[in-house]
Amino acid sequence: MNIDIKAKNLKKTYSGKVPTYALKGVSFEIEEGEFVAIMGKSGSGKSTILHQLGLLDSPTEGELLIDGVDVLKLSDHEKTIFRLRRLGYVFQEYALIFELTAAENVFLPAFALNGSRRSYKERAIEILDKVGLKDRADHRPNELSGGEQQRVAIARALINNPKILFADEPTANLDTNSSREILELFKKLNKELGQTIVLVTHEPDDRKYVDRIFWIKDGLLEKEEKMANAD
Amino acid sequence: MMKDLKVAFFLGYKSIVNGNKSIIVLMIFILSLAFVNLIFTNSLLSGVTTTLDNQLINNSVANIVIDPQEEPTRENYIVHTEELRRQIQNIPGVIATVAHYNLMATFAYDKNKDGQYKYGSWEVIGIDPGEEPLVTGISNHIIAGDYLEETGSDDIVLGSDIAGGYGAAEEIRSLGGAKINEKVKLNFGNGVQREYTVRGVSKVKFTLIDQEAYITAKEAKSILQLSDDRASQILVKINKTGDEDRYIEQIKKLAPNLKVRKWTEYTSMLNSITSSFDLITGMIGAIGLVVAATTIFILTYVNTINKRRQIGILKAIGIKDNTIIISYVLQSFFYAISGIIFGSIAMFCFIEPYFISHPIALAIGDISLTIKEYQVAQGIFSILIAALIAGFVPAWRAAKENILKAIWGA
Repeated sequence: MNIDIKAKNLKKTYSGKVPTYALKGVSFEIEEGEFVAIMGKSGSGKSTILHQLGLLDSPTEGELLIDGVDVLKLSDHEKTIFRLRRLGYVFQEYALIFELTAAENVFLPAFALNGSRRSYKERAIEILDKVGLKDRADHRPNELSGGEQQRVAIARALINNPKILFADEPTANLDTNSSREILELFKKLNKELGQTIVLVTHEPDDRKYVDRIFWIKDGLLEKEEKMANAD
Repeated sequence: MMKDLKVAFFLGYKSIVNGNKSIIVLMIFILSLAFVNLIFTNSLLSGVTTTLDNQLINNSVANIVIDPQEEPTRENYIVHTEELRRQIQNIPGVIATVAHYNLMATFAYDKNKDGQYKYGSWEVIGIDPGEEPLVTGISNHIIAGDYLEETGSDDIVLGSDIAGGYGAAEEIRSLGGAKINEKVKLNFGNGVQREYTVRGVSKVKFTLIDQEAYITAKEAKSILQLSDDRASQILVKINKTGDEDRYIEQIKKLAPNLKVRKWTEYTSMLNSITSSFDLITGMIGAIGLVVAATTIFILTYVNTINKRRQIGILKAIGIKDNTIIISYVLQSFFYAISGIIFGSIAMFCFIEPYFISHPIALAIGDISLTIKEYQVAQGIFSILIAALIAGFVPAWRAAKENILKAIWGA
């Protein structure tokens, strides 16, 4: 099995009058096609790990290989291109562009990658169909429910066929039913498309959807837990 | 690059089309005002200088003024004026010349015919009534009575500020309402006293000109006791204002001893007013531009601050910084161009026609707006450059911000 992510001794310190050591040296590997959860208490450093993996932030120290690329050596511009081509990111708070329709939000990364809107609008509709929102394609975010917005965000993250999909507490603002739908959608994507997914969550119930859990405590990887539903 | 431009255009377009309509309307409105302010102030001040220039050229000193010799000895008159005028008129581009006879006189007017005279001192100019209209426009500005006739030796045309009763700037100093066909007595500087019949009253709405009176050249020469063709001054009208220097050079070759001056040099006080207005125009224009640039900057800055999170999201999903910056610059351009269009409509369809039909009455004449093409072009260019800078800087700052800080507002 190929390794999609290899993190070695990742450290993140936020400078200030009193420096905050958010990550104190975390190492792990994630294989291609795995559905991994990063869990831990609030403030444990789980989102910080995801930010480093998603190239939204840079670690203070350590090594990080994603899809075989030493991403810490990339320039900001190269990181942007890398994110666009190989990574998908789903935020906690939907993070849609409110001036665009659902379909436009979805095809925007493809448009940015290939420069053609027309061909990707059809693909956006296809992906929206997969997340059950085909009939809401022309609605703007303020016309969608929280769960629908999050599904649009997932569709957007998938448009460029990313190597890895990151999701940062994607169900935190959703009701139980919507949360279940989103996690089932992730599971479906993982099973049917072999999509590598890294999910940050603090919901104990989410364990049943994932293959492996990294438990984070005080900026350190406390333990790894392989789940029974893993292949 | 083309790909980035397409995405930037798409984002900018969507932001405008689906953005907050009241903010968009407000931004375009403010930029329209900024553009109008830039053009209006300049054109109003240009209107003042244009009126001043036109008054001087058309109603006072024409394009070129020839005065008597000053060096090595000061003379009172130009000699052999007829020959000199003929030579000057042969210069291609010279429309006409006239000889003037300048006198100072104390005017006395008995309004109520009770022996109580009102006095005042003004300049009297002796003109050839037939030739004068070729050079100055006094004959076109007779508001009461008639213009002078060649044979009218005892006739006088009074400037409205001398006659009084026509809304003079200094009415109290006027004769208090000298009417047509009434008599005024003039006591000239050389001691000659004459009585004239008021034949007409002229008003060009420029105080300095409306404080002059006109008699025939023949009458002036008799007062000055000039039997030959000497004159106090020769005025030269040319066909293209602005080319004076070229003609002055040629006239100086014909009469090297005479003082030959451009109309702008003749009245130094007015000249300083014109140059002061040019300076003020420049300063107000620069201030207007800074205000416009600051307005665009603040509006774009507030807009980008409000969309900081959106910029963070765009970056997070892989949209390049440059694409984001270009989309904001394009939006800025849209607001600027819309502001220019609406500002131009306001300026050319409403403000300019209003000032043409309702000019501002000042002591130098009726002031309307003089919208110069270069000032409009300068205004458009300035607004666009301001939009470019003001759109770029805040967008650049926001786009260069850390993604997480932009999204979470940390």
